[in-house]
Amino acid sequence: MNKQYQPNLPSGLSRRKFIKYSSLAVGTGILAACSGGASSTGDEDLGENPIKVGVMYSTTGTIAIVEKSLQDATFLALEQINTNTGPWEGKGIGIEGRKIQKVVVNPDSNWDLYNQMSKRLIDEDQVLCVLGCYTSASRKSVLPVFEEKDSLLYYPVYYEGNECSSNVFYTGAAPNQQITDSIPYCKENFGPKGFFIGSDYIYPKESNRIAKAELEKIGGQVVGDEYSALGTTEFITIINKIKQAKPDFVLSNLVGDSIPAFYRQYKDAGITSEQIPIMAYPTTEEEIQAMGSEYASGHYTSFNYFQTVDTPENKAFVEQFKAKFGDNRVTNGVMEAAYFQTFLMAQAMQKVLKEKGELNTKTIREATRGQIFQAPQGLVKVDADNYHTYLYSRIGKWGADGQAEIVFATPAAVKPIAWSQTLYPGRICTRPVPDDRSNPIKETKQELGVKYLEKT
Amino acid sequence: MYAYLFPLYYLAQETATEEVTEAFSFVALANQLVNGIGIVGILLLTGLGLAITFGVMRIINLAHGEFIMLGAYVTFLMQETFDMDLLLTIPFAFLITAAIGALVEISIIRRLYGRPLETLLATWGLSIVLQGVIKLIFTAQLKYVKSPTYISGNLTLLKDAQGSPAIAISYYRLFIVAVAIALLALTAYLLYNTDLGRQIRAVTQNRDMAKCLGVNTSLVDMVTFAYGCGLAGVAGAVISSLKSVSPPMGQDYLVDAWMTVVTGGVDRLIGVLAGAFLIGESSSGIAYLLNDPSARVIVLAAVIILIRYKPEGLFTIQKRG
Repeated sequence: MNKQYQPNLPSGLSRRKFIKYSSLAVGTGILAACSGGASSTGDEDLGENPIKVGVMYSTTGTIAIVEKSLQDATFLALEQINTNTGPWEGKGIGIEGRKIQKVVVNPDSNWDLYNQMSKRLIDEDQVLCVLGCYTSASRKSVLPVFEEKDSLLYYPVYYEGNECSSNVFYTGAAPNQQITDSIPYCKENFGPKGFFIGSDYIYPKESNRIAKAELEKIGGQVVGDEYSALGTTEFITIINKIKQAKPDFVLSNLVGDSIPAFYRQYKDAGITSEQIPIMAYPTTEEEIQAMGSEYASGHYTSFNYFQTVDTPENKAFVEQFKAKFGDNRVTNGVMEAAYFQTFLMAQAMQKVLKEKGELNTKTIREATRGQIFQAPQGLVKVDADNYHTYLYSRIGKWGADGQAEIVFATPAAVKPIAWSQTLYPGRICTRPVPDDRSNPIKETKQELGVKYLEKT
Repeated sequence: MYAYLFPLYYLAQETATEEVTEAFSFVALANQLVNGIGIVGILLLTGLGLAITFGVMRIINLAHGEFIMLGAYVTFLMQETFDMDLLLTIPFAFLITAAIGALVEISIIRRLYGRPLETLLATWGLSIVLQGVIKLIFTAQLKYVKSPTYISGNLTLLKDAQGSPAIAISYYRLFIVAVAIALLALTAYLLYNTDLGRQIRAVTQNRDMAKCLGVNTSLVDMVTFAYGCGLAGVAGAVISSLKSVSPPMGQDYLVDAWMTVVTGGVDRLIGVLAGAFLIGESSSGIAYLLNDPSARVIVLAAVIILIRYKPEGLFTIQKRG
């Protein structure tokens, strides 16, 4: 076969030369690809004795679509801290004069690489703490590293709960700040029958399990429970099953690329938002923009933050974000958490330095506990006991302009509970001061009620 | 987690819960099978380009999915800059992806004919490069493509007792099927009824002989490969308004397109249609009875078994060795 056809290479370029040049080209390509994953610290002037902080989001691979926007929000916050602008105005340049040096790594949407890169950030780059991760899979991958090396991760994403580590500050929603209010809302406004869908991995499955327990507790019924592989864009079957089951509402925990495809095919199949509305958790402004707002119009999302939240802090945040990254960009709840958690970290560091302490895991951890910040969504606070964050719980109804009309909001930030109280009544997480990293889980046998952050 | 380690246990469990939650209905199954045509259309459309580059030219083209992605981005770009209707962007998607295909043929593929392993590696590399370049230009954000408003709504074939549609299929899905079949017919005409088609077949059957008889083989190769890539571009343009447009989107279609082409057999174009129909309908039927992830596992396993016993695919021509 090979002998039959000998390609005529252009004269002056022998086969050997061709192989030599092409392998050189491939080698350079590989080198370039690898250096993309290496840490870069930027070349801005950081002055003397900068504070090293790791930033770990994938800017390549399947999850890059989301994580790049989290990195953007984090960079905006770091820039504002280093230049004494935005919410940091009046607190001086950097933290007590020391600028933050960001050490940026790109784990390429590969869960194993998150593990390796976090090791490198802690051991080689010696960062004080890391801002990063999006999926639960990546968090589970780095958790053993942060616990073994006793370092700190600030994690900005709503997640399925059931975790309480001394080494992670969770600044996204716990189940009780997203699911607990949205399920009764669905039952009262749409009806008792829910059809649950999601992508096939830990977060959607666990989140739907909690939602199912909540719905059944108040007398509702789950008439269907369907999952599709991560990244699927074909929803004919699931939509047919929804038509078949005739639910009162659909609860969607689809993530990523699947979201625009599902909403488009849902409308294309002739189901309107008046007939069967979709209540979703991971569908935010970003995905609505990608699918076209006419497809989401009339559907709902439960989140802590929407771009339409009416606070002066949010107005400034949206304005500054657009000024830096372009007028066509939107902000969403995960980005907002990535943004404000950077300030929570910076405030904790400032507190340590003001008290003439030394910056290390122990001091930053203790200083972050109970830290409060006037975030775009409103006043938030890091819970001193379980390291999750007091957040507002809101439900938005998507309008024709791709923005949410907020139809439900709690009067203040809700105290986070790491374990669903319907599934695990009375299980709480409390840590002593100072944190001795002992087992924090306590069974109180009494279901915890809703508690709001008291304004002082 | 352990459920994943034992797929059979998992399947059994899924079926068990399925039976409890909803009663089996033949009308619903019929509806599902009718809608399976929508999946068939997409498989046919995405497999067609591969039937040219692999079926006719025997190039293992792992960048096929990226040409679909390029087609989708052309549509996005045309809509963004000229506010063009989706249907009008289809010729542009074809021309631009075909041009890029021709460029790829001249610069990479041409030097690798008769070396399938190197072709495989080179096109794999190319797919990574194309994804990277698109991401650098358009960022990683998902892109919005407007669908034509005049192709919306559903065709109702059967109504239930309350008068609401029991068997219905969306017009856009039918449109995709129509485009796919039209392209299939056009391709068949090109291959079997034109001079160019005869030359293409002559070159792939016996390159040296064709060359001796005065066929410009390198031009024929370039045109054929460009045409195959152009078809992928059309697929991307048409699908873009129903699915998500993002740099890694092509990966999704690559495996499906390969399954379609391999199942049907690569020697005849009709094999692509057969492969698309078999895979589309069986996955939609199984997905209705079980669920999407298990349907995928079962169909993929079935394709592997099929290739084991019939490596040439279902529709093949007897050939002399």
